[in-house]
Amino acid sequence: KEENEVSEEVLVRDVLYVCQGIDGQYVKFDENVDGYVLSDSIKVPRGTRVMVRKLCELGWLFRKVKGYISESMDRFPAEDVGTVGQAFCAALQDELSDYYKLLAVLEAQAMNPIPLVSKSTSSSNYLSLRRLSVWFAEPTVKMRLMAVLVDKCRVLRGGAMAGAIHLHAQHGDPLVHEFMRSLLQHVCSPLFEMVRSWVLEGELEDIFAEFFVVGQPVKAESLWREGYRLHAGMLPSFISQPLAQRILRTGKSINFLRVCCDDRGWADTATEAAAAAGTTTRRGSLGYGETDALETLVVEAAKRIDKHLLDVIYTRYKFKEHCLAIKRYLLLGQGDFVQYLMDIVGQELSEPANTISSFQLAGLLESAIRSSNAQYDDPDILDRLRVKMLPHGTGDRGWDVFSLEYDARVPLDTVFTESVMARYLRIFNFLWKLRRVEHALIGAWKTMKPNCITSHSFTKLQDAVKLQLLSTLRQCQVLWNQMNHFVTNLQYYIMFEVLEVSWSNFSNEMEVAKDLDDLLAAHDKYLHSIVEKSLLGERSQSLYKSLFVLFDLILHFRSHADRLCEGIYELQARTRASSLSSQDKTKSRRHTRDNPSEPGSWFSDGRKALEQRAGEFLQNMGRELEEISKEYTVLLEGFLSQLPVQQHVDLKFLFFRLDFTEFYSRFRPGT
Amino acid sequence: TKGFSMDLSSHGLERPIGYYNAAVQELIVIDDLLSAMVGIEGRYISIRRVRGKEDHISFQVDASMDLAIQELAKRMFPLCESYLLIDQFVESRSQFKNGLVNHAFAAALKALLVDYQAMVAQLEHQFRLGRLSIQGLWFYCQPMMGSMQALSIVIQKASANNFTGSSVLNLLQSQAKAMAGDNAVRSLLEKMTQCASNAYLSILERWVYEGVIDDPYGEFFIAENKSLQKESLTQDYDAKYWRQRYSLKEGIPSFLANIAGTILTTGKYLNVMRECGHNVQVPASENYKLTIFGSNHHYLECIKAAYDFASGELLNLIKEKYDLMGKLRSIKHYLLLDQGDFLVHFMDIARDELTKKFDEISVEKLQSLLDLALRTTAAAVDPCHEDLTCCVERSSLLKRLSTLKDLEVRTVSDGNALAEPLNITGLETFSLSYKVEWPLSIVISRKALAKYQLIFRFLFRCKHVDRQLCGAWQVHQGVRALNMRGTAISRSSLICRSMLKFINSLLHYLTFEVLEPNWHVMHNRLQTAKSIDEVIQYHDLFLDKCLRECLLLLPELLKKVERLQSLCLQYAAATQWLISSSISIPKLEEHSKSSRPSRMLTMTTENASVTDSILKFEREFNAELQSLGPILSNSSQAEPYLTHLAQWILGDGHDQ
Repeated sequence: KEENEVSEEVLVRDVLYVCQGIDGQYVKFDENVDGYVLSDSIKVPRGTRVMVRKLCELGWLFRKVKGYISESMDRFPAEDVGTVGQAFCAALQDELSDYYKLLAVLEAQAMNPIPLVSKSTSSSNYLSLRRLSVWFAEPTVKMRLMAVLVDKCRVLRGGAMAGAIHLHAQHGDPLVHEFMRSLLQHVCSPLFEMVRSWVLEGELEDIFAEFFVVGQPVKAESLWREGYRLHAGMLPSFISQPLAQRILRTGKSINFLRVCCDDRGWADTATEAAAAAGTTTRRGSLGYGETDALETLVVEAAKRIDKHLLDVIYTRYKFKEHCLAIKRYLLLGQGDFVQYLMDIVGQELSEPANTISSFQLAGLLESAIRSSNAQYDDPDILDRLRVKMLPHGTGDRGWDVFSLEYDARVPLDTVFTESVMARYLRIFNFLWKLRRVEHALIGAWKTMKPNCITSHSFTKLQDAVKLQLLSTLRQCQVLWNQMNHFVTNLQYYIMFEVLEVSWSNFSNEMEVAKDLDDLLAAHDKYLHSIVEKSLLGERSQSLYKSLFVLFDLILHFRSHADRLCEGIYELQARTRASSLSSQDKTKSRRHTRDNPSEPGSWFSDGRKALEQRAGEFLQNMGRELEEISKEYTVLLEGFLSQLPVQQHVDLKFLFFRLDFTEFYSRFRPGT
Repeated sequence: TKGFSMDLSSHGLERPIGYYNAAVQELIVIDDLLSAMVGIEGRYISIRRVRGKEDHISFQVDASMDLAIQELAKRMFPLCESYLLIDQFVESRSQFKNGLVNHAFAAALKALLVDYQAMVAQLEHQFRLGRLSIQGLWFYCQPMMGSMQALSIVIQKASANNFTGSSVLNLLQSQAKAMAGDNAVRSLLEKMTQCASNAYLSILERWVYEGVIDDPYGEFFIAENKSLQKESLTQDYDAKYWRQRYSLKEGIPSFLANIAGTILTTGKYLNVMRECGHNVQVPASENYKLTIFGSNHHYLECIKAAYDFASGELLNLIKEKYDLMGKLRSIKHYLLLDQGDFLVHFMDIARDELTKKFDEISVEKLQSLLDLALRTTAAAVDPCHEDLTCCVERSSLLKRLSTLKDLEVRTVSDGNALAEPLNITGLETFSLSYKVEWPLSIVISRKALAKYQLIFRFLFRCKHVDRQLCGAWQVHQGVRALNMRGTAISRSSLICRSMLKFINSLLHYLTFEVLEPNWHVMHNRLQTAKSIDEVIQYHDLFLDKCLRECLLLLPELLKKVERLQSLCLQYAAATQWLISSSISIPKLEEHSKSSRPSRMLTMTTENASVTDSILKFEREFNAELQSLGPILSNSSQAEPYLTHLAQWILGDGHDQ
């Protein structure tokens, strides 16, 4: 044989070395071709060369896997490989140790000499290249997979890594499937441990930011909404989105209970949940492939913790009572209280805004509470009710800045956040304004009512003036009736069709709410439906504006009506005085004839002047009322014409109510 | 994987084989053949590939070889070629993108190849011991020869068409059947089929037991159309959700072809329950695992069991928890006027609104009136009465019927028949509607509701006519005391009677002859229904039957009836005038206490126009009624139920 010809035995040994990543005597790693090659100077048959190259693929793969493992091991304490990455390395290492075992066996076999064709047998436990290829068939498949995983996961961490590996587990080959399964079981164990501790203890054991729930430090009131969120990138694909949401919420509930509600009862609940799901609260009881078990655990835990949370919120923090209190005070549900408050603060609020002291208003609020049925309410609730002055500009009256406020403390401020309270405030302002207008109208009626009766007493007036008086009064009455019809119906609509209906829906939803998110959603829906239906929504802005113009006009009318009535009273007083004095005068004239003409002429003059002045006054008032009436008709028509085009069906219903007798639609041209 | 090079030049130093003597040649050839059997070129055996055609491989031997040995070696080449092809196939099909079935098939092939390689290693051992001749090699390879050949044919077909998923399974099965003569090959192919189908069956298992499509590579034969939302059932007339949300795709494995429909519905039912938030778990048993091993068709039984479970569970859910029968009964109360006392009240209070034109009607007002009517009558005890809403359609009944193409309305011959009457009022277009929630919307879909509405509109119209005629009858009763024998009034009273008889007969026919019995039949059938599809079918059948028997699918007849109804309405509207114009004079005279002869005189003169119009009404009505007779009898040949109607309306035929 020639010098550079080598025996198969040597090659086999070389291949075995190569498969552990060590260069052999003849087979060496070549950087240029990125693989192990048999050096060209060696003279071997062509088939053998090919065979060696094929077998060395395993070595190449091994080198890659091993390289990754040592690289991450080196990096580990300094850089964040993460627990999942560590687990992955450990799993790969486990696989490699199996592989080493195989190599050791093969090595032992390789010691026996290969029998040559000519000689007789020595031992059957020898290793030829062909035998080696049979041995290597299975490790090659696994090693290839590992190499692929190493390639794909080099840049990934945490949940993303687990997800990427999971994607490769979807393989139809039972061998591959089983292999990936055991690998994933290792890889996912830290992840599942995180889920478990999060769901049962509310702890984020996540040093390397690998978990799909991310926490951030926030204030207690926004803990629920902003404290924790899902990190989509770290969500492994074998955990579905709804399940992830549920996991997030369960841990969040525990944290919420702990931080905001100062509650300890959740721990028992968690243990109970774990027992119900058939696991314990100990570590390491879940693994990959048991997604059902995970789901059961999460569902059980979520069910119980959420129920516990709702229990705490309902019973200890009296959520329902507070909602009802807000409805009664901020949404003016407590009629006697509102009436009384309106009565006593009216005077104060007519002052310019900058002169009003809020202390005085607080005192008035207090007295309104004391003198209405509100006094029997829970002191805790009454304690939270405050007066709030809105920031005021120049020329604002007290009416513009006054509002009530409800102080929702931790943990209820999760529901009643500032933005929610701001919406309540808007609704309050609207209702307050409506109530004020109604109050004003009733006030106007109070002053008008006696006039109707006493107007008959103006018998002594001239016919023309009397006629004018009656017609002006009538005009005033008609206008008042129109306005009252409008305001009463609007108020009916708001109080019954909007507030009560929304509240009843909200109560029903509160009953069936399963977790805090449901509750928040129900509350949002409640508030939203009120805002939308009571014209405060985005889409009904123009409607809202024209409504306010109408309100202003009504208030304006009230002052006019008051002036008219005052004028009539005055006139009445004067006429009575004059007729009284004229009677006196005649009497006195009868008795004393000393100064006959002078007072009489004054009186008659006065009477004439009085009647003339009264006529002018009435004429002016009549004209002004006429103007108001015209403006009112135009505005109301504008308002009504906007109603039917609203998208919300309840607003159409409002139109139908306002126009029940079809009085307005009859005068509307074109339809 | 590393391809192997084809460089023949590097070892050109070797001496041609003819240089050696035959015994040595045989040894060298055996060694080469052992390499060739695992797809590696030897010293004197080379592989030639045609570039571009990867599956076309041929082996060649050195020409200088001993001819006998050459021939012996060449016999081995097909085996070597098969090996190479299969190996190549395994490598390519194990890649992720090729789908689970291909993976599993490749894995099975791979296992076979490892066996084969082990055999080669054994042969090598024999060779090293000096016990192997080329003849012996040939002998030892025989068992492998046939199976490798068969497999290579299969994989060539598979890779030529780039089969995935079920087509691979079909191919394997058909090949197994085609090679049934060769027992070994057939059992091998059956084994391959079984291995390959395991992956497929695990997808099937998840679908049949959980209703989940877990199909990462798109191999399963059921497709989900996510764009179809379940909400469409309550909105669209032509909602396709139930039929097309899940559908069968191309490429059903042949062994599942017969049962594919069952599989589809099983998963579909499970999905419905999932959508309802109802957690379902098919009871696990030891026979849970689907296999196609052997010929006992175990999987068929499994699927059947799963189907029975799913359909039973869903039916139970819909019937018990969602109270299907209660809903249907409630719909019957309102839309079929089974308990119509609310309607009387409603018609009373909504009369003004309903007599407006349809585009002037305020639906909100009608709705609130309807609510009022519902709450003050017997309907208030029905918990479902809140679900009732009202709506105003935009077209008349006839027109609406003609727009519903799928109802098989008999086409009308004359073109202007569909011309819309210009002044249709709310009475013609008013209709009730009913809010149906998921999952009941599967049964009571928008389409079913539309059919209910058609029937309701017809009934509502009849009721309206009936009420108007009753009013007219009351007017007649008011003047009965006056004893007007032989005058126009008695004539008028007669015609009023016959109109009432007509409309009452029609209503009686509609309610007692059509709706009630049919509903009863449906009700009984629903009690015994086995699956939700049956329920849907019976319900649809009921509706279609009612529509047909309510004359709604016979426009010709329907138009006649409409004509008669409008005559009745005209008459009822005119009654007040007719009566008052013929009564007013006697009344006046009664007041004035005038003498008898003058009274008779005025009556006859004033009554001339009245009598004319009454006679005109009578003539027209009778003519229309008479013309109805032939139509009914003609149609009753095809539609036997019409004889009932004819009997009711036309009486025995001799009193006309």
